[in-house]
Amino acid sequence: MAEVVLEHVMKNYGSLYAVNDVSFTVNDGEFVALVGPSGCGKTTTLNLIAGLLPISGGDIAIGNRVVNDLDPKDRDIAMVFQNYALYPNKTVFSNLAFPLQMRKLPKAEIASKVAEAARILDITHLLERKPRELSGGQQQRVALGRALVRDPLVFLMDEPLSNLDAKLRVQMRSEIKRFHHNLGATIIYVTHDQLEAVTMADKMAVMNGGFLQQYDTPAQVFANPVNMFVASFVGSPAMSLISLQAVSRGTEVVLQSAEGWELPLSPANARKALSSTTKNVVLGARHSTLKLHKMQVSGSVPGKIYTVEPTGDVTFAQVFIAEAVVNISVDPSVHLSPDEPVWIEFDQERVHLFDAETTSALTVR
Amino acid sequence: MTDATSTRIRPVTKKPVDYWRWSGRVFLVLLLIFTAMPMAWMLITSLKTGFAAMQYPPQWWPASPTLENYARLLDPRNSIGQDFLRYFWNSLWVSTATTILAIIVAVPAAYAFSRFRFPGRTFLFFSVLLRNMFPAIVFLVPLFILMRLLGLVNTHGSLILTYLTFGLPLAIWLLKGFYDNIPIQLEQAARIDGATRFQAFLYIVMPLSTPGIIATAIYSFIGAWNEYIYAYTFLTKHDQMTLPVGIQRFFSENATDWPGLMAATFMMSVPVVVLFLVLQKYFVQALTEGAVKH
Repeated sequence: MAEVVLEHVMKNYGSLYAVNDVSFTVNDGEFVALVGPSGCGKTTTLNLIAGLLPISGGDIAIGNRVVNDLDPKDRDIAMVFQNYALYPNKTVFSNLAFPLQMRKLPKAEIASKVAEAARILDITHLLERKPRELSGGQQQRVALGRALVRDPLVFLMDEPLSNLDAKLRVQMRSEIKRFHHNLGATIIYVTHDQLEAVTMADKMAVMNGGFLQQYDTPAQVFANPVNMFVASFVGSPAMSLISLQAVSRGTEVVLQSAEGWELPLSPANARKALSSTTKNVVLGARHSTLKLHKMQVSGSVPGKIYTVEPTGDVTFAQVFIAEAVVNISVDPSVHLSPDEPVWIEFDQERVHLFDAETTSALTVR
Repeated sequence: MTDATSTRIRPVTKKPVDYWRWSGRVFLVLLLIFTAMPMAWMLITSLKTGFAAMQYPPQWWPASPTLENYARLLDPRNSIGQDFLRYFWNSLWVSTATTILAIIVAVPAAYAFSRFRFPGRTFLFFSVLLRNMFPAIVFLVPLFILMRLLGLVNTHGSLILTYLTFGLPLAIWLLKGFYDNIPIQLEQAARIDGATRFQAFLYIVMPLSTPGIIATAIYSFIGAWNEYIYAYTFLTKHDQMTLPVGIQRFFSENATDWPGLMAATFMMSVPVVVLFLVLQKYFVQALTEGAVKH
């Protein structure tokens, strides 16, 4: 196992930058998720680490060795592909044995290592089969087996669960997590599903438009998103964002909506709001931090129910506030109907404020 | 549930005759007769004596079937047998050499067109087709002049080179389609598993493209095996002629020996038929590759 360091990594196709100045360090034994929407550069970044694409700039080091110009075969990595990429003309045994054969290990050692990997993944009874005779979950295990049979420095995984059905995905999710725990492996895992990243990873690297937006633990990314993109990408349902104007009223600062209502800010939040480059400020709040009232209470702002989504143990209400749709979780016993007027109370300790111009989170300086 | 069973049990009301279906069947039968009859007649005639072949009304089935014509063709002791076996050998050599060379060139070329992005790729790809956009006869004189300049007239090299200009573009296009269908992740996986780019091609891509290579080989082989006009123009010496040209001699020198001619023609079709029967599975697989999602 080894650490992986990316320093100012670039990948461009002409004037198009697929990966733009990305730097982060994956510590030895860490599980890092690269997450972002389609086309954000996460898979390209993984392919750069794997050596399947040449990098245009910067440095990639695996285990204290700069690997920029090394072939994939010389980087001592293993990779699990989204479509598994099992060799269709080989049996499961030969698929697992291939990486070892390429490294010219003696036959007896290959047989014992394959047997060991098959035992760990519980695929011993499948060794004589061809990949097309396996179910999706079994193919997934074989793909994992081919990666772990060699004991590489780093495991790279490119959306390994996205071809599985929902139930199997949850099951494999915990198996991969367990696999990471047991092996103490360094894993870099690409996914477009923020939930997978949050639930599995030690750290997550949120990417958008080729740029690394935030690199931190899931808890930190969830609690302190650095900008509006990260805030709206991580968490389900997403953080609600409301565009408002910061206005000074004597000693206090209020957020004013186009509709005319005003929300007084706590002293800490007031200082944040004043650090914005313009008066335009975006208020962000997660569904669980909001309180819904059927009558006006002090400090609440008016809204109107848009839809109600019961999920069983919690009901999500979508509320129109100042031309934004805000998600609020309420107790299933609360009866709400569309177009019903409601009042929303914000938790000043847990709201987020963003600069509408730069989209960055506002902080106290 | 009851609905489904009752409809199944109830006698089906007489369906109206599907005229389209039946006319289609009739058409197919006619087509089958049209293609199979000449072959059947060829085989029947080749089993007749010279006299029986010329009878009118014709003997639909030879009164005294004989294998004499075949024996004569395959007997190296008489001049006809010597000639025939020589032509056969020439055809086999030219066709096989063409096929092997076509595959050797087409496999890496098709792979490169499928996998690599390089300047001029599209232009090159379409320019290999340019040769096939004109009737073969157009190139007869230019190629003859070229072969004379190269000193290849009256050699098998001239034919092999010419047949490659027909066969290669088709081979490259066919094989490219095949490589396009092999997921690139397989090679990437192999390279991560410790293979070089070439090893990934050799161990992973090649076995998967075998059906495509076989289909391409059959195409090239048949094209070269059947070709007449270039072989007729480029080669003037008897001992170098290929079968299509050589068989012609049955018309002139032997005062049109119909049974002999038919026997020779039948023999000529044997390699192609055998190739097809043995490799048919791959051939169909290659032509339908990519038609359905796996």
